[in-house]
Amino acid sequence: MDLTPRTSADNAPLAPRKRKTKWGYVAVLVLIVVGGGVIVSRFLTSAIDYYCNVDEIGVREGCEADRRIRVQGTVEEGSLAADSGTTNFIMIYNNKELAVTYAGDPGGIFQECIPVVVHGRLTGKVFEANRIEVKHSNEYVADNAQRIDDAESQACSPIAG
Amino acid sequence: MNSTAVRSVGTPSTRLFGLLAIACMTWVVVGGLFFTPADLNQGESVRIMYVHVPTAWVAYLAFIVTGVASAMFMFGKKHSLGFDRVAGASAEVGLMFMAITLISGSLWGRLTWGTFWEWDPRLTTTAFLFVTYLGYMAVRGLGGSPQQRARRSAVVAMLAVLEIPLVHFSVVMWRSLHQRASVLSTDGDIKMDGLMLTTLFVGVIGFTCTFAWLVSHRQRVMAMRDILLATQLDSALNERIAEGSQS
Repeated sequence: MDLTPRTSADNAPLAPRKRKTKWGYVAVLVLIVVGGGVIVSRFLTSAIDYYCNVDEIGVREGCEADRRIRVQGTVEEGSLAADSGTTNFIMIYNNKELAVTYAGDPGGIFQECIPVVVHGRLTGKVFEANRIEVKHSNEYVADNAQRIDDAESQACSPIAG
Repeated sequence: MNSTAVRSVGTPSTRLFGLLAIACMTWVVVGGLFFTPADLNQGESVRIMYVHVPTAWVAYLAFIVTGVASAMFMFGKKHSLGFDRVAGASAEVGLMFMAITLISGSLWGRLTWGTFWEWDPRLTTTAFLFVTYLGYMAVRGLGGSPQQRARRSAVVAMLAVLEIPLVHFSVVMWRSLHQRASVLSTDGDIKMDGLMLTTLFVGVIGFTCTFAWLVSHRQRVMAMRDILLATQLDSALNERIAEGSQS
């Protein structure tokens, strides 16, 4: 610990400090926070959004059909087919359909009637995906025989969001 | 006072928190692994939720405590270092819980989404929050007197706490791979099986008690360290005075 004696300049009496009001700083801080919030929530939405919906391809900014995009939709019931190592299915969102082909088995909990996000590029009318992520909902339902029967008897309904 | 005596840092309240934490954690482990049902879609992987969600909530709580304690230090008349120590202890423990959140979430993501990590809004803002509080801890370690340390870190803490709403509402403000809140949802409709929800709540209580227990002990250890520093300063001053009187 350095306890070297102070020089004469250091020993000069300190002038009494004026107590500044902190409200100016608070106002600036509030302005920064509000301004930042508006910029992030209003103007950066299309840049921060993780995916486009099926019905937004070629319509929404950032969802152009000629670029690599991420697309969200629900795997349509009865559309899932595996053919010599390739998985084909139809994604649906807001009554718009998109045919998807994926070289491989998505694995995990991928199945029909589940929302997914596919990464890839639109070639003609088929979306060639090289990555598939399952976007599970915020509903947690016990897995028991009755529930499974109920689920199977119900029609596949796309989840919005 | 006997110099060899060991002073306990435990109090009746810390012991209560400790016992509650043990009881709740026992429920979470046994109930979460053996009694709660598997999820219809996610299967057995849903059990990670009983760790992931409570640790995330407690990390938020810890950082809010840090922010409030920092504000009480800055704007309180006495500028009590006790608030600063609570702020520091809470941030340390919060970082630990946030790390558990990130790791458990990554494992859960691999099982359900099919990927350990994606730069989606929720994951990115959570990682940013984690790094911010790492920075806060670095600011605390910059040196200087306890008062200087407290002032610097309080400013950082009061700004950092503003990130929490951004993290929590990121799944509402933007489209995210991460699902929306199930319990703290804006529509108030809880979409969860009863036993799952009960176990989740017990987990929240258990992790909160663990947080309180850890922070109580940690801030007391930090107080002891400050006392030690002051004692060393006193003895160094006395030595200096003694040197001066001899010359």
